[in-house]
Amino acid sequence: MRIVLWIVLLSAGLLACDQSQPLPEAPVSVPGNFPAMPATPGNPLTKEGIALGRMLFYDTRLSGNNKRSCASCHQQSLAFADSFALSNRGVSGKQLHRSAPALINLAWASNGLFWEGGSTNLESQAFGPLTNEDEMAQNLYELVAELNGVPTYVSLFKSAFNDNINAANIVKALAQFERTLISGNSAYDKGVFNEQEKRGLILFNERCRSCHATELFTDNGYHNNGIDSDFSNDTLEGIYQGRFRVTYDSADLGKFKTPTLRNIALTAPFMHDGRFKTLEEVVQHYSNGIKISATTDNRLLHQQVLSAADQAAIIAFLHTLTDTTFIHNTQLSNIQL
Amino acid sequence: MKKISILLSIATVLFSACSKDDNKDTADAIKGTTTLTFDAKVGSEDFALNKDFTISGTTYNFTQLRYWISNVTLTNTDGTVYKVPSSYYLLEENNAIAVQDGKFEYPATKREDVSISGIPAGTYNRITFSIGIDSTYNDNLSLQSGELSQLNGMTNIAWMWHTSYIFSSLKGTRAGTAITIETGLNTNYRTLSFALPANVTINSGTTSHFTLDVDVIKIIDGLDLATTPTVGAAVPAMMTQVADNYSTKAITVSK
Repeated sequence: MRIVLWIVLLSAGLLACDQSQPLPEAPVSVPGNFPAMPATPGNPLTKEGIALGRMLFYDTRLSGNNKRSCASCHQQSLAFADSFALSNRGVSGKQLHRSAPALINLAWASNGLFWEGGSTNLESQAFGPLTNEDEMAQNLYELVAELNGVPTYVSLFKSAFNDNINAANIVKALAQFERTLISGNSAYDKGVFNEQEKRGLILFNERCRSCHATELFTDNGYHNNGIDSDFSNDTLEGIYQGRFRVTYDSADLGKFKTPTLRNIALTAPFMHDGRFKTLEEVVQHYSNGIKISATTDNRLLHQQVLSAADQAAIIAFLHTLTDTTFIHNTQLSNIQL
Repeated sequence: MKKISILLSIATVLFSACSKDDNKDTADAIKGTTTLTFDAKVGSEDFALNKDFTISGTTYNFTQLRYWISNVTLTNTDGTVYKVPSSYYLLEENNAIAVQDGKFEYPATKREDVSISGIPAGTYNRITFSIGIDSTYNDNLSLQSGELSQLNGMTNIAWMWHTSYIFSSLKGTRAGTAITIETGLNTNYRTLSFALPANVTINSGTTSHFTLDVDVIKIIDGLDLATTPTVGAAVPAMMTQVADNYSTKAITVSK
């Protein structure tokens, strides 16, 4: 069941004081079992901003070679992930060092973005893939000039932001659209389970829920989940060292962001580097594959091995988190100018 | 429908409440302008790029000095404080900089002066400003104010895999080895406040000018650059030292 909440904050109204005609806030449909959507006073959701962001998300003009869009690596049919462990589909054709994360319920991702949490909000985060030479490799000056060559964009930016096309407004629009990628209409949400799935949910709550917490199935935290135990490789600006590369705190070695498990059956392969091809491999890892080091999450130590039947039950439960309305939602689908 | 009307009434209250600021002064004409000069030095010498300086017996040659001055306030002798709106200024002396992996070039620039207009007429005796960018703007590159921009090579996307601003950057060579000295963590943000050497009257009829000296020797004071030529996020204690140097010794009011 869904209810419609108006995402309106007094602060947004106050911030809008210096603008002559602020746009009305957009109504966003939030699943009834979700917490309230956190406010983004610097970039309130508007109908115009979301529509513009959607158009930009699917537009290959946003890449240096005009062949890649955000959607190239974040496909709706795969819950806005891709099917690769480490993609080489960026502009340079070089293999990336991170698996493209699924974009689900990011409006609630209030504790950092990227696998190690280096970016604080979706607006700033967007500059990463946009400008990285192995991802979209977009010269931001060129992008603004290119979009200015499309009269429809000029008027859409005007109506969304009452402003010209600039880099800040581009990422604001993208962030608005990303915040509407809301998934909460799965069999789990409807409470529809068979016996195996029901048992899987009980096991899941015992073994997995403390990190894959709440109705969002993430605690938005960073954990060393025991997939590695040696973090001495500090090449590539510490890319193998997890959150340590952001905080330089040795307690953060090997810690990565807890991903949501919503639509997890659609987003293989798994982990920050896509090392596990199947959910079976993932559950096996948590059952009896934990590698121990100084920062391994305590909750993963001294756990009992899961029987084959228990592993199968957990996997059956995970499939109940698939939301087919999300991947077929026409309000989120490809729209091109 | 009911929700909408509640919203509208809230909005009406808010927006009507903020329209009063517009004509608070009798006339803009009495407002004044002042100029802040940040004069870069190497000890007693004028700072220059691509020129050898001897500091404590070691040869340094600099290619870049850049830092953000932000959130400037002026204190009136009557105790009132004027907060300069949108005061984010990039002070710099640099050779051309390749931005975004060389996709475009930020031109060679020398900028030591900040001109501030719209200052309410009055007599002022204190100036306060910060080095770096406050966390609100540092954490969100899409918020625009003053000279903040993603396009001037003072944001860093790969650096620490953070999407935030570089607060200060000094680059060059020390004894022939490349050095890079940068700050940019929210904890590196520092606020400085100086009593002015003499009261300054600002109004539409006056021209005033503050000069602050920025001594590069003091910026690197206490750093072991022979051992650690790159000061960045990997050595947070050294970044703190640089931030402290900026706030406690590198910048002084000269006139």
